[in-house]
Amino acid sequence: MGKSGEEEEEEEQEGLSVHSPCQAPPSSASSLPKEQSQIDLELKLLEALEIYPPNKLQGIHRHFILYGLMEYLRRSFDRHFSSDEVLQLLDRFYNLEMLKPDEEEMDILNQEEVFSLPQTFYTKEES
Amino acid sequence: MKSNNRSSYNVRLSTQVSNPTPFFLLSSNSLSMGSSNIATKDDSDTDIADPKTDSQSFISLFTEGEKVLAYHGPCLYEAKVQKIENSKEDKKKEAKYYVHYLGWNKSWDEWVGADRLLKCSEENLQKQATLKKQGADKNTKSGRSTQSKPKSSTEARADKEDLRNHVGRSKKRKVESGMEEKDAVSANKHMKIQIPSTLKKQLLDDCEFVTQLGKLVKLPRSPCVDDIMTKYLDHKTKKDAAITESITEILKGLRSYFDKALPVMLLYKKELQQYQEAIEDNKSPSTVYGAEHLLRLFVKLPEILAHANIEEETLTQLLQNLQDFLKFLQRSQSTFFLSSYDVSSQGVEASSMEEDE
Repeated sequence: MGKSGEEEEEEEQEGLSVHSPCQAPPSSASSLPKEQSQIDLELKLLEALEIYPPNKLQGIHRHFILYGLMEYLRRSFDRHFSSDEVLQLLDRFYNLEMLKPDEEEMDILNQEEVFSLPQTFYTKEES
Repeated sequence: MKSNNRSSYNVRLSTQVSNPTPFFLLSSNSLSMGSSNIATKDDSDTDIADPKTDSQSFISLFTEGEKVLAYHGPCLYEAKVQKIENSKEDKKKEAKYYVHYLGWNKSWDEWVGADRLLKCSEENLQKQATLKKQGADKNTKSGRSTQSKPKSSTEARADKEDLRNHVGRSKKRKVESGMEEKDAVSANKHMKIQIPSTLKKQLLDDCEFVTQLGKLVKLPRSPCVDDIMTKYLDHKTKKDAAITESITEILKGLRSYFDKALPVMLLYKKELQQYQEAIEDNKSPSTVYGAEHLLRLFVKLPEILAHANIEEETLTQLLQNLQDFLKFLQRSQSTFFLSSYDVSSQGVEASSMEEDE
């Protein structure tokens, strides 16, 4: 996604003349001006955060929440995202260290119980 | 280890539907030690789990310390199996279970037969909620049918209190309506992790070794969970470097779950002492335990993931990845898993008598 400064300016001017800043031209992320694609990334991330509340990023499920965000962005932009990339994007909106995890007392991982195999292990599986 | 309050929510959910009526079935292994609890039928490798309704020796369906649902009157209550009594002479006689009703005074503890017990599966928990509603409705003046009443949390709470007043017991139970809502949440997620049949057998053997024979895995394990995960990551990224990031995150997530879940819900009662000793110096379980216990995590994984609230498309992808991991375990089953356990649960190595087998 890295572009030189000159290219950026050219494309930005093009963007201004041909399209209004509000209308993102439908194209892959790489052909957009750097700022435009950054905005797209952030918008998509905010969309994703409606599904995955950011405070879960500090809880026991945080890796799977992060994975969910990575997958969401991957599907939106058709490229792989590293966990660092996603965390950096998040950093623009949230101070992650300050996030408080959800009420975890209700979480299943806080409920002590002896392990046991479910009944279906002792019968023929139908599926 | 953080101590947890026992009277907390019961949201133990299972994605596997079980029959509402208990039955005396168990697969068999060809192990035959002195105890009359173990079936001595020949093991058929093709059919791992054969329902046995013929005259085999009875096997306990519930284990000591297991959380179950127990009938008391018309309703189901969460209970814990404290003791099990088998009749050794008369094998046809049912086992008796001494249960303690969670949240109730010890004076209510009693011996019950398996016919009064159900596993804490999702279906049974829903049944519990239904029975409770029916019981509560009898006490309310409205007398409306349960179907017309939306099950909101406040209403469920009010019903519970009605029932409590009627029955006249003091139940120091926290909000159970939370459980009903969570039931609905997980019921919508068709999350299934298919455990390959040879790994299922591994789990059954594992159960038998520990609970029936009192034999434990020797710790620390090599390869440990961390080792196994590293091997898996290497294996996957050799084929496709692009997926490294997502696989890494999934494995990190699994590791976190494993470290948290092991002492809380992945151990049989007889392993608890060993755990305390193995984990001194605050070692993380993923450096001490191995494939045997990691596999148990996969039994609980659907329940745990339900709490992460992952949206469907990602969840599907995630489940595929987890399935793939299981296949990886299966392919290297002989390398990763022990086929027999040597440590007796009193902490003594196997005696020479057993070595003669």
